Amino acid sequence: MKRYLFLGLIYALALVLPLFIGEFWIHVAVEILILGLFAVSFNMIFGYMGQLSFGHAAYYGVGAYVTGMLMVKASVPLAICLPLSMIGAGICALIIGYFCVRLTGIYFAILTMAFGQLIYYIIFKWYSFTRGDDGLQGIIAPPLLFSVNAYYYFTLFIATAALIVMWYISESPFGYTMRAIRDNADRTRFIGINVRKYMLINFVIAGMFAGLAGALWGPFNRSIAPDLTNWHHSGTPVFMTVIGGPFGFFGPMIGSVIYTFLMAFVTGFTEYWPLIIGLVIIFVVLFVPGGVLGFYESKMKVFRSKVPKSEETIP
Amino acid sequence: MAEEVILKVEKLNKAFGGLKATNNVSYQMRTGELSAIIGPNGAGKSTFFNLLTGYHLPDSGNIFFKGVNITHWPPHKITRLGIARAFQVSNLYPRLTTYENVRQAILSQQKKTLNLFTPAHRLAKKETQELLEITGLSQQTNMTAGNLPQGDKKRLELAIALGNKPDLVFLDEPTAGMSGEETHETMELVKRLNEEIGLTILFTEHDMSVVFGYARRLTVLHQGTVIAEGTPEEVRANEDAQRVYLGEEA
Repeated sequence: MKRYLFLGLIYALALVLPLFIGEFWIHVAVEILILGLFAVSFNMIFGYMGQLSFGHAAYYGVGAYVTGMLMVKASVPLAICLPLSMIGAGICALIIGYFCVRLTGIYFAILTMAFGQLIYYIIFKWYSFTRGDDGLQGIIAPPLLFSVNAYYYFTLFIATAALIVMWYISESPFGYTMRAIRDNADRTRFIGINVRKYMLINFVIAGMFAGLAGALWGPFNRSIAPDLTNWHHSGTPVFMTVIGGPFGFFGPMIGSVIYTFLMAFVTGFTEYWPLIIGLVIIFVVLFVPGGVLGFYESKMKVFRSKVPKSEETIP
Repeated sequence: MAEEVILKVEKLNKAFGGLKATNNVSYQMRTGELSAIIGPNGAGKSTFFNLLTGYHLPDSGNIFFKGVNITHWPPHKITRLGIARAFQVSNLYPRLTTYENVRQAILSQQKKTLNLFTPAHRLAKKETQELLEITGLSQQTNMTAGNLPQGDKKRLELAIALGNKPDLVFLDEPTAGMSGEETHETMELVKRLNEEIGLTILFTEHDMSVVFGYARRLTVLHQGTVIAEGTPEEVRANEDAQRVYLGEEA
């Protein structure tokens, strides 16, 4: 109950936020939401399925390009673009995932990264269709959402809806099957589950929500570039998840708040942003390996339960 | 012996490199049997289970379950047809609770694992509680499986196997690491499952008092080959069996 109250408070705060902060920070808040959605979708693969996708930006980028191109080239309304972006990213994830779920561990990470780079180079090189590294300009949100406040509320609404759906999935029998596969894939086969099929379904769902996050990015930023699909952009949700904690649903969202806020703050006075985030990551990995959420939960456990302290948790 | 044949293995072979782990093994089980496979370490007991459940593919031979040839089936399909197994070294979901471990097997058996939108905690409540009670784990429901004591882990192992509502279950040393008291309780449970719901059970065991106390039919494996088979009395009297195995114990 307490937890829902806390969530409600955060949400109420998010609703009144534009009353208190300036336009620059509203921009940052939109970014937090979009990248947080991206990171939560990534964590469906990392935290729940136990595999590191190092090419998750591919689906984010495909989502961004589907919406961007439909809006710029065919003037399709944004409301129709969003589901189409999810479908587009989902199809990509289906084709790529079909190969990737055959592998696990480091091989899974490398293959997802290789396919991610493939998507990047296709978008980069196919000038006549995607305009290559010129990117796409003039992705303009509909008049109703033109002000940054309006776009903030729109993003908040979409992100909330998507988070609720992903929350339900994570708590469903399917979500628990993912945890089972993460904990012990072999055993899961012996309770009658086709592990690869389930991994593929999860991969596609995660890709679709990454596509949705990407779709929200274009009209916000008004332009997109192939860099969105590049491997260093795949690192963003990894960092966010490591900072926030992969073992709770909201961990990556917390990570996004910290990461994005810090980036906006730090780049205001120095260009050495990667140095700062590098130090943060080192600190988290060495001293709070469960991330912020993991730290909070382990603290809470000490106070309220008599369950013996767990041995090292193996990711 | 009017019961029908539930499992039939014909001339099964499996080699790892030069080692013949399973050498021309033919084997048969009838519905309702409670049988054991014994043999010294490395005799090929676990390999035999692994072949029957699809974990390893045999080099040659056939496996029929309920009259269906399952020789090259993957583990999940074999499980769906009604074979479950409990592992020798407990093979659980260490970060899930005891309750969630068992529920996972039940949800799979009920074909609900593709359900994306009903919270799992609302499903299979009764079945999970029942199974936890039967296996003596109802005090540990909220404990993380990875933190359970060894005996409880083995019990949970058994509970997961039963969660699949199998017709045939393989138990690989179900009492390994248990105290005398726990061993007795577990084997009494195994016996009850066999007698009351007619579950067909095949187990392996190192403890000879357990084997001779509970199994109604024994098969002795040695270097991948069946060297003796029959009732406990017959096996006890068999010279080959005495030489390779029982001799060490006596």
